[in-house]
Amino acid sequence: MSDRAENLILALPGLLLLAVAFFVPIAQMLLLSVQGEEGLTLANFTRFLGDPYYLGVLWRTVRLSLLITAICALIGFPLAYIMARIGPRMRLWLIVLVILPLMTSVVVRTFGWMVLLGRSGLVPDILRSLGLAGRNFSIMQTESAIVIGMVQVLLPFMTLSILGVVSRIDTRLEEAARTMGCGFGATLRTVVLPLALPGIVAGSLLCFTLSASSFVTPNLLGGSRIQVLAASIYRSVTQTLDWPFAAAQAVILFVGVLLILVPYARLGGGTR
Amino acid sequence: MVGAISRPVRIAAWIFVLATGLFLLAPLVVVIGVSVSESQFISFPPDGLSLRWYREVLSSDSYLGAAWISFRVALLVTLTSTLCGGAAAIAINRRALPGSGVLATFFLSPLVLPTIIYAIGMLMLWSAIFGPVTIVTIWIGHTVITIPYVVRTTLAVLSESDPFLEEAAQTMGANRFQRLWLVVVPQCLPGLAAGAFFAFNISFDEAVVSLFLRKPGLTTLPVQIYGQLEFSPDPSVAAVSTIMIALTVGLILIIDRMLGVQRFASS
Repeated sequence: MSDRAENLILALPGLLLLAVAFFVPIAQMLLLSVQGEEGLTLANFTRFLGDPYYLGVLWRTVRLSLLITAICALIGFPLAYIMARIGPRMRLWLIVLVILPLMTSVVVRTFGWMVLLGRSGLVPDILRSLGLAGRNFSIMQTESAIVIGMVQVLLPFMTLSILGVVSRIDTRLEEAARTMGCGFGATLRTVVLPLALPGIVAGSLLCFTLSASSFVTPNLLGGSRIQVLAASIYRSVTQTLDWPFAAAQAVILFVGVLLILVPYARLGGGTR
Repeated sequence: MVGAISRPVRIAAWIFVLATGLFLLAPLVVVIGVSVSESQFISFPPDGLSLRWYREVLSSDSYLGAAWISFRVALLVTLTSTLCGGAAAIAINRRALPGSGVLATFFLSPLVLPTIIYAIGMLMLWSAIFGPVTIVTIWIGHTVITIPYVVRTTLAVLSESDPFLEEAAQTMGANRFQRLWLVVVPQCLPGLAAGAFFAFNISFDEAVVSLFLRKPGLTTLPVQIYGQLEFSPDPSVAAVSTIMIALTVGLILIIDRMLGVQRFASS
């Protein structure tokens, strides 16, 4: 047996599995999206892109995903920086703090937010007692609820992406900047931030993709009135049973994600 | 630590960390709180203190059935995903196959593609060929989405290992199988273990593939919880969720013992 044969045998089970159970299903989905009663058709796409309701769903998905990603980056960068520069004991606790929610099922975390944000929940109660909200105030079934829930779900991804890059930054660069008279804020802005940028970009792409394609949290926190693209796909599959239309919506999501990921991979930063 | 950081900045950093920690842990704490409540209704802070909802869960056929399905699927997935992913990572690391750069991308691609897109494709393909979905469908689906994690953790460990050990073993007369089993696999072990934990955790907690592939009698635990949340949640959902959180905590403790959480986080 040659080396090449040995390596081929090692890689083969995974190769076959992914080819048959990953790439073929995606091909099937692509095919179904253009399948009509007689032959190929783009009807499912024109139906989506010609309907103001679905365009609204698409726009909401993009808008919310951008907002969620931006908030994650705004919290994730300082958090990752503090994690990288704090003592080893504290760092361990902070890593557990980030990993514990990450490894808990999204369904469970969303349930927690349903309790917190619901009509008689803690958050509206506090807002009411502070006089910031009226008696019938509720955050549930609003876009704000989706954003709050999704930021909590995705913040660990962003933080770990940035931490991976920030913890490799040489602290002597910061010391050098400080010695030369740079303030703390200026050091952060002119030394750390530019060096952390690859991590922030990678984390943002990950967050945007995950947030544009999630439906569990948006469905439970936003309700059926506030649809996002992924929730609409899920509804087409399970409720209206219109699979070709579901496939077309999935293709639109797929293309959107590719449009974002491909330029990044081209830039050569493709390894996460 | 970079020298002088002024007091206000330090205090601001602490407040920020505390607030973020509160934000990250709040939903978990709330779920645990609701689960020990005495009341019929979901309330936080809890009314009274009782374990009645845990008794309820442990005597509920639908929860136990779902837990059993989830557990079986997660075990099977851990096995297949670690085997396929680990073997592939060894092959990729040797860079002996033509196009091994492409090979790595190939194996990591399920990570990049949103799960919902894959789930819908899997449902459509399976229905077109085999008809109704079974537990095998979920097994395959979860294996596909967890393989990249095993590949990544194993590759990370292998890239730090000494490639000459295998050569040394060869010079000393070890045959191909001995080299693989006695030299390479032990080197991979921390990566394989980390990947296996990832695979188990992801499969056990995963809701997207399982939701698309759900049918009566084939609901995993997260799908069962999701279904309850959509209609009428009572504190028993919180009890199940708390058990799942406890499992996660247990898994993190084991990982820390075996590999160290920091190392795990960086992969």
